[in-house]
Amino acid sequence: MSKGVLVDLTKCVGCGSCTVACKLYNGNAWDETTPTLGDKAKLTGKNWTVVHHKEVKDSNGQPVWRFVKQQCLHCKEPACVSACFAKAFQKTEAGPVIYYPHLCVGCRYCMVACPFNVPKYEWEKAFPLVTKCMMCSDKVEKGEAPACVSVCPADVFKFGEREELLKEAKAIIAKDAKYVKHIYGEEEVGGTDWIYISDVPFDQLGFKTNVTKRSLPSYTASFMHATPFVGITWGVILTGLYHYTKRRNQVSKENNKNIKA
Amino acid sequence: MQNQADKEKERQVTRRGFLKMMGGIGLTGITATIAGCSTDPAGGKGWMPQQYQVASSFPVQVKGRIPIDPTNPSITRDDKKCVLCGQCVEVCQRVQTVYGYYELPIKDDITCVNCGQCTLWCPTAAITERDDIDKVVQALEDKSIHVVVQTAPATRVGLGEEFGMAPGSFVEGKQVAALKKLGFDAVFDTNFSADLTIFEEGTELIKRVTGALDEPLPQFTSCSPGWVKFCEYYYPDLLHHMSTCKSPQQMLGALVKTYYAKEKGISPDKIFSVSIMPCTAKKFEAARPEMNSAGKHAGKPELRDVDVVLTTRELARLIKSKGIDLTSLKDEKYDTLMGESTSAGLIFGATGGVMEAAIRSAYFLITKQEPPEALLNLTPIRGLQGCKEATVNIPGVGDVKVAVVHGLSNARPILEAVRKGDAPYHFIEFMCCPGGCISGGGQPRTSLPPSDEVRQARINSIYNADAHIYAKRKSHENKEVLALYEKFLESPNSHIAHELLHTHYEDRSKHLTVKKNA
Repeated sequence: MSKGVLVDLTKCVGCGSCTVACKLYNGNAWDETTPTLGDKAKLTGKNWTVVHHKEVKDSNGQPVWRFVKQQCLHCKEPACVSACFAKAFQKTEAGPVIYYPHLCVGCRYCMVACPFNVPKYEWEKAFPLVTKCMMCSDKVEKGEAPACVSVCPADVFKFGEREELLKEAKAIIAKDAKYVKHIYGEEEVGGTDWIYISDVPFDQLGFKTNVTKRSLPSYTASFMHATPFVGITWGVILTGLYHYTKRRNQVSKENNKNIKA
Repeated sequence: MQNQADKEKERQVTRRGFLKMMGGIGLTGITATIAGCSTDPAGGKGWMPQQYQVASSFPVQVKGRIPIDPTNPSITRDDKKCVLCGQCVEVCQRVQTVYGYYELPIKDDITCVNCGQCTLWCPTAAITERDDIDKVVQALEDKSIHVVVQTAPATRVGLGEEFGMAPGSFVEGKQVAALKKLGFDAVFDTNFSADLTIFEEGTELIKRVTGALDEPLPQFTSCSPGWVKFCEYYYPDLLHHMSTCKSPQQMLGALVKTYYAKEKGISPDKIFSVSIMPCTAKKFEAARPEMNSAGKHAGKPELRDVDVVLTTRELARLIKSKGIDLTSLKDEKYDTLMGESTSAGLIFGATGGVMEAAIRSAYFLITKQEPPEALLNLTPIRGLQGCKEATVNIPGVGDVKVAVVHGLSNARPILEAVRKGDAPYHFIEFMCCPGGCISGGGQPRTSLPPSDEVRQARINSIYNADAHIYAKRKSHENKEVLALYEKFLESPNSHIAHELLHTHYEDRSKHLTVKKNA
């Protein structure tokens, strides 16, 4: 069982408390050029979570404002973890997908692998690292909500066991007709620990909706699992060939001393 | 010899040796940087602002912050200074009953009445007024522009605090001197248009009472733009009760580009109109699309009645930035034409003041006799009690029941009563901010949260000036207002007075879902 967060987008008032809490907790500097709140908000090496402002239409065609918090979704089976050969990205038992800087070799495969374009690189630094939301793993480990979740004045978030939250989300959208009948993150890329419910279709809110429901590592798992066997078998074959040719050369040398090797 | 040369060679750094050394340092550096000398995962280890030194969750009651639209004309927030202490939520929700009084999801607006009380409660000054000083400096530097300024009643009992004076210090003359020194071409008093408001609003009230005007009673005052917007959001069905009078700021603004322009022979588009206000909502009010009466009157609807509003705090910064020491300035007088005022206009700055001023003149307008002494010190409607009532007997009319409310949380019960038809009043004064304008969102910051002690000191200063400093205490004695009617406006509520001094309101309920039983 892993922890998760249920985000009810209909409750967000766009105050941006969560983005400030993230900066404070993680000691990230403010990005002078990229805001964390509004229509120009963008995830960067310094902005681990941002709140997008979307002007959309509600089900009655009326113009409405919605705010969408974006951060790492902490996939159940993360592509970044599977792509990282240095084990710098790891999925903890409690849920957060965390990053060990001392293991990272800087290949940025994780950035290519992530279906949501979450990991960012510290391009401006001389010795850059990859960065992303850690879901405040220290806090989650202790059973506390992540910093962003704990400061929300509007009750947008609910922190708890993912499976419990999923049940709750299902109950909410079944009971209240305003919600879109979809829980984002329930099945996307095999399920994410952060799940969203909304009254406006997710594609209009900037969510990537054309993602597969299969977990991304499962696409490669079958042949990636064969890697050690292929490696060992290939090694055995080559070693055998080496010894065979070495022996053959030795024998022919001894038999035909006049033939130049 | 040979030995020494060898030693010399040893000491010399060879190219190979140098490169090896640099490579070694570089590799160590890279390793140290990348590893960060730590094998912990990335991310934070703990809280955070001073008040929460231990890493854990936020206290449940005090957290987060209010949403602020980046295009809000009144207030703005510096994220870097925000410590998520929750004080803005506290004041917005509990004192002003704005945040949390609408249903979620929101519609297409971030509900805000622009009162700026949050700027007074914010302990780190992350939330501040939107700074418009540059626009004023630019206008002052442009010699082809005639820059006119007006000062609200309440700024003269607040400004001194920014210069180290005690709360409530009365700096009317020094403020005028500072404004003249800054280069304003004319300095007028919003007290003047407060006196004018009494004529317009008093006449309107009498018309409502006598039935000459088909609008309901009680009449609501309309000088506080935060209150007006609150009513537009939450009680749009009661907007007919709202006096159609513009606020004193907007009345003076409209007159500067018509009456003053005409008297002085200056083209209205060469006039830049500034107002110094204790209020952040005045910035919003001045930007309301319909506040261009003078422009429309002159056939140039793009002209604004008031071009820029500066809060008391901004004026203090402007004065300081020019190296002027307010405390050492000699008192100066307001310019004539729209500079005369009575203390009835002055007390607009304190809660209950509009009502008291209105009663002083209504008595005269109805009975043609001077009001008795007791009406000049109407103590039941003074002070910091949230909702105050009084009954005044005016011969010929009978008992007039009035109520005074300040702070929007105090307004709700009265408004609900009016809605139900249970409010026995003829006239109700509403002030958005607790204590009235003297504690407006643009006034100098005080202790946190703002204390009644400071509010009371400012109120005392206003009533002290009312009793001891001002020569005239009744709006209808203001000679310049009388001259204005004679030369330009004809009579209260005349056609031209309606064109320039009255306004209409907007039902804003479509921008939010009002919470039922909030």
